[in-house]
Amino acid sequence: MRALVETSGLTKVFGEIRAVDDLSVAIPEGAIGLVGPNGAGKTTFLRLLLGLLRPTAGKARVLGHGIEDGVAVRERIGYMPEHDCLIPDMTGIGLVSYMGRVSGLDKDTAMGRAHDVLQFVGVEEERYRKVAEYSTGMKQKIKLAQAMVHDPQLYIFDEPTTGLDPRGRTEMLDLLRTISRSPGRNVILSSHLLPDVETICKYVTILDGGRQIASGDIATLLIGEDRIRVDVRGDRDAFVRQLAEAGHEAEAGPTGVRVARKPGVEADVFRAAKALGAEIRYLGVEIRSLEELFLELVERTAGGSK
Amino acid sequence: MSISLPTYTRRETPLLGRRDRLRTIVSTGLRREFKRPAAIFTIGVGTAITTITAIFFVLFAPFLLQGQPLDLRFFYLPASNLAVLFFVTLMASVVGAGLIADDLDSMALTLYLSRPITPSDYLIAKAAILAALISMISVLPLFITPLLGLLLGLFPWDTALAAMGLAVVVGSVLTAWYTSIALFLSSLTRRKSYAAAGVFGVTFGLWIPAQVLAAPTALNSPDLLYLAPWEDFLAIARGAYGVAGGPIDWPVALAILVAITVLAGLATYLRMRAVEVVTG
Repeated sequence: MRALVETSGLTKVFGEIRAVDDLSVAIPEGAIGLVGPNGAGKTTFLRLLLGLLRPTAGKARVLGHGIEDGVAVRERIGYMPEHDCLIPDMTGIGLVSYMGRVSGLDKDTAMGRAHDVLQFVGVEEERYRKVAEYSTGMKQKIKLAQAMVHDPQLYIFDEPTTGLDPRGRTEMLDLLRTISRSPGRNVILSSHLLPDVETICKYVTILDGGRQIASGDIATLLIGEDRIRVDVRGDRDAFVRQLAEAGHEAEAGPTGVRVARKPGVEADVFRAAKALGAEIRYLGVEIRSLEELFLELVERTAGGSK
Repeated sequence: MSISLPTYTRRETPLLGRRDRLRTIVSTGLRREFKRPAAIFTIGVGTAITTITAIFFVLFAPFLLQGQPLDLRFFYLPASNLAVLFFVTLMASVVGAGLIADDLDSMALTLYLSRPITPSDYLIAKAAILAALISMISVLPLFITPLLGLLLGLFPWDTALAAMGLAVVVGSVLTAWYTSIALFLSSLTRRKSYAAAGVFGVTFGLWIPAQVLAAPTALNSPDLLYLAPWEDFLAIARGAYGVAGGPIDWPVALAILVAITVLAGLATYLRMRAVEVVTG
């Protein structure tokens, strides 16, 4: 599979802050989530990919083009910014077709596509109204439409559901999912809302402190291979103590008891349950949510750096 | 919401070049200005008054300059028209002050710079919008005056043609200076009113004190007039049209205006490169 984004030792330093620190990633084509806590370097990474910043060191290629050739890269990218950035005195259709033309489309093609994408995002009736009169949800859709108008190969969505009500969020996620599943289109979704990433993306890159702390197929990452999960009906605390006495690392979590995987653990689990008269409802691989994985990794990184 | 995602044969639709993208920004920018009441007023009234004044100068040239031959020197008169100063300043304030400040305020700069154009492309396009509008006041009247004089038979064709050429050169110096300064000030703030005030401040805040201080009754130092861009422009116009005298020399004045124009343009470029366009 061809890499969508390839970086090698990519570094960006602002003064004494290493916003992106020796980042080497190979992100495959498809829908990719970019997650990380505030200050993790996501924004700087996106700016580097868009060719808006020059790296302090290292190299990066986006869709086969070096980021030093910013114009060629941006011709192939549709960027949906997080913040409000629309030109308020233009109409929806005027703005989207204008952005298409600034991207290099001729006048007729830009206008035709602007109508198409506005219909796709659901701003058909209001397309001749000025952007200043739009609601937050409609502005988000216009931002999506302007990113789509030149039919880019790569979409970068920066917090696309920010400020949306539940219905708007669902609509937006539906649109993003449709785009991400279309052939020939790739998505990088940067979001703090990890369920959004889980919904849209197949692959995730987790950044912290400018470094990549995990990267890979989401389904694979979410399976905790080093632990098993036990759902137990009965005194969970006593169950955990019993396992600890048997020499196992166990902790009670909100969704069950997690036990470190080692030979003989399954037998000890049943022995402990029998001793306490508890009932085992589930015993198997631990499948975490992306949020749990994220918190665990960030905690581990913070612990490692102390 | 529609049912399906639009699909295109994008490989068969080659994108137009950067020149076409710049042309789009310029034409759309000009169309937007022609829809704004303040801009319409300034363009309409400014162009009308300066042009009508220029026509007046031509029609009444024999009476205005009795005894003086109607040669190239006559065209210094429309160039030194104070209406040109006022409306060029007003145009730079009303239109130029908002060209970048509005994009910073609405954060539309992010949209522009995430497109396949460079910061210098963006600046060139904005400069072209403003320069086109300013030149309607700084170049057009100076150009129309000799043209009209030629058509009315008041001036020989060689004099009129030379005056038309000089009008473009002299007017362009003023246009470039105001364009550069207005865009620089506009790039410094999100509030166009601050930039607009800055344009007026730079023009009249330097011109009036320089005149007062340079007067014989004050410091009696004509060199202070170099500080005033309008006085520099007048010196250049005098040099161009061959008018003798004047308190300051045109080569120095030209060097000052050109240097400030280039420096302001460079500073604006550096400012644009430093602006944070992707936040999160």
